[in-house]
Amino acid sequence: MKFRVGVAGIVAFLTLFVFSGGVYAGSKAIKVGIIDCYSGPPAVYAKDALNGFKLALEEINKEGVLGRKIEFTTRDTKFKVDIGLSMAKELIMREGVDILVGTISSSVALAVSDLAYKEKVPFFVWMAKSDRITGEKGHRYVFSTTENTAMAGRAMAVGLSKKPYIKYWIAGDDYEYGHAIGRAAWRNLKRLKPEVKKIGESWWKVGEPDLIPYLTAIMSAEPDAVIFCTGGRSMTNVMKAIKATGMAKKVAICIHTATDHAVLKPLGPEAPEGVMGTMDYHFYYPETPENKAFVKAFRAAYGEPPGFPAFHGWITAKFIAAAYRKAGSVDTEKFIDAIEGLKIMSPVGEIEMRACDHQVVLPMFLGVTKKVPQYNFLISSNIVTIPGKDVMPPCEEIMKARKGK
Amino acid sequence: MEWASLCTQLLVGLSRSMILFIVSAGMSFILGVLRVPNVAHGSLYMIGAFSAFSIYTYFGMGSTGFWLALLLAPVVVAVVGFVAERLLFCHLYQREHLMLLLFTFALMLILGDLVKMVWGPKYSSIMPPGGLKGSISILGSAFPRYNLFLLIIGPLVAVFLWLFTNRTKVGKICRAAAVDREMVGALGINVSWVFAAAFVLGCYLAGVAGALVAPTVSITLGMDHDIIIEAFLIVTIGGLGNIWGALVGSLIFGVTQALGVLFWPQFAIVFPYAAVVIVLLMRPKGLLKSVW
Repeated sequence: MKFRVGVAGIVAFLTLFVFSGGVYAGSKAIKVGIIDCYSGPPAVYAKDALNGFKLALEEINKEGVLGRKIEFTTRDTKFKVDIGLSMAKELIMREGVDILVGTISSSVALAVSDLAYKEKVPFFVWMAKSDRITGEKGHRYVFSTTENTAMAGRAMAVGLSKKPYIKYWIAGDDYEYGHAIGRAAWRNLKRLKPEVKKIGESWWKVGEPDLIPYLTAIMSAEPDAVIFCTGGRSMTNVMKAIKATGMAKKVAICIHTATDHAVLKPLGPEAPEGVMGTMDYHFYYPETPENKAFVKAFRAAYGEPPGFPAFHGWITAKFIAAAYRKAGSVDTEKFIDAIEGLKIMSPVGEIEMRACDHQVVLPMFLGVTKKVPQYNFLISSNIVTIPGKDVMPPCEEIMKARKGK
Repeated sequence: MEWASLCTQLLVGLSRSMILFIVSAGMSFILGVLRVPNVAHGSLYMIGAFSAFSIYTYFGMGSTGFWLALLLAPVVVAVVGFVAERLLFCHLYQREHLMLLLFTFALMLILGDLVKMVWGPKYSSIMPPGGLKGSISILGSAFPRYNLFLLIIGPLVAVFLWLFTNRTKVGKICRAAAVDREMVGALGINVSWVFAAAFVLGCYLAGVAGALVAPTVSITLGMDHDIIIEAFLIVTIGGLGNIWGALVGSLIFGVTQALGVLFWPQFAIVFPYAAVVIVLLMRPKGLLKSVW
């Protein structure tokens, strides 16, 4: 009996503690709820994004926003739609967050986006790259602070259209991200340079460990250039297979994020040279004071250079703070009005939250992997900056897609 | 279709088969002797790859590091297997298969999390040693040297397994235990230790495969899930518990995949699985004799 009373007491105490804590924090600070995948392989990226976000918050909270601080709390989605959705619900209902931020998974992001629409809570997608998030499935309460597949495909198309290649092969991971990049790249390449021909496609299952059979098959078809549409761990696999088969010496290769530090570093000096890649952020490029300051602060705080997720985390926090300051109020609708068309300074220059579709306008960097003496891994070289306006799908296209839905 | 590209494609498929064979032979061996459908076999393969990465890094990321990793990583996995067998498996052999399946599934999840705790969720990578880098030209098509190396190692493992099961006493006892374990026990042989030896050998093979595959892929969490499905299919089409069945199954799986990629790239994923379906429709018990 005594034991039961004790348990009941503890439960009551805990309940009181949890609820009072939630109410107290909600009335004082601006609360951001972050859902992302903090377990499994995607955790590396999620942690990097969170670090970038935290770094920006430290700076923001020094002076505060409208006399308040911005606080955040995180939840693990485990890369699953149902878990992500219930975590987002919990953050809205119980924690009373003002803003939701996340996540690396496009399917989780799309599901949470629906919830954000119903609950009228602004949701910032900082890593998921499906163009449907701000495209056909976009709405007033969803924002993207990362480049998406449409932008990546366009960037590759802009870069490749200036090269002499005619016969193309498209290959990649057989899932939404791969196909979306492939479609966007091909549609735009065809638009910019009508004489290009697609001689074949190959798609392997996500996480396919051995890509060499695919590469040897592609090489025997003798295309001028190959567009690989891969992400995550397939990036390492495809780079290794390119190196092992010596493919880069025979055909031109273009891969979105091939020039990413997170891809090239684990491969060390053995990554293939001469692979073209588009990328939204490099800690060593552009060499602007803003980027140098960001990298320096990030290194000081976390002991390693920021990856692209950290950059997106950082601009997300900056956009949120700037929009509240501009709105002069914590009212959600005023916040959204303020952020539409808002421009902020970032490590890659001035960037804008486009008013029509809530998609951030970012430049893209097209480079070629190269060995350099100062690093023991390959970096992107001969970088060409493709300005944001060239990689953005036009507003009319987006509005047409949304209406069609 | 050119003759040369067909030829390289076939070789590439065969080299992939070698990895699959080493994994599924270990799994099939355990299944045959111990009657345990070990779902955690893929995790042991993953531990092999991660250990190889650690050993490779420790010895300076060069050729020496690679060869030592290839020698030592399987030993690490064998030790893990030995501990798991003595502490957990040896108490469970009498249970029904469903229980064992659930248990090994749980073990797979636990080992997966352990790997995450020890090595973290990063993508890691190791390089093939000096002489095995790059590719050579076979009839004008590029063929990676490392895959050539796999084509040599695979048959060596097969020969070693044949010698072990046919020429050594332990191997013969293992085969006998696979057919009739009561009889082996009645002959006064300590079946418990035979099982331990068989389990450790199976794990060692998983480790060998993990270390061998490491230079060709990114070493990452999730490797276990990828391989275990393929290994199970191979073991099933080959005949449960029959290591030569595992060899035949691996060859079918690897070669149909490689040729599928060449002839019909958009639907390449389907080919090996279609081959599995056809085999099972024609021979529901697998190609070779199942020991069950």
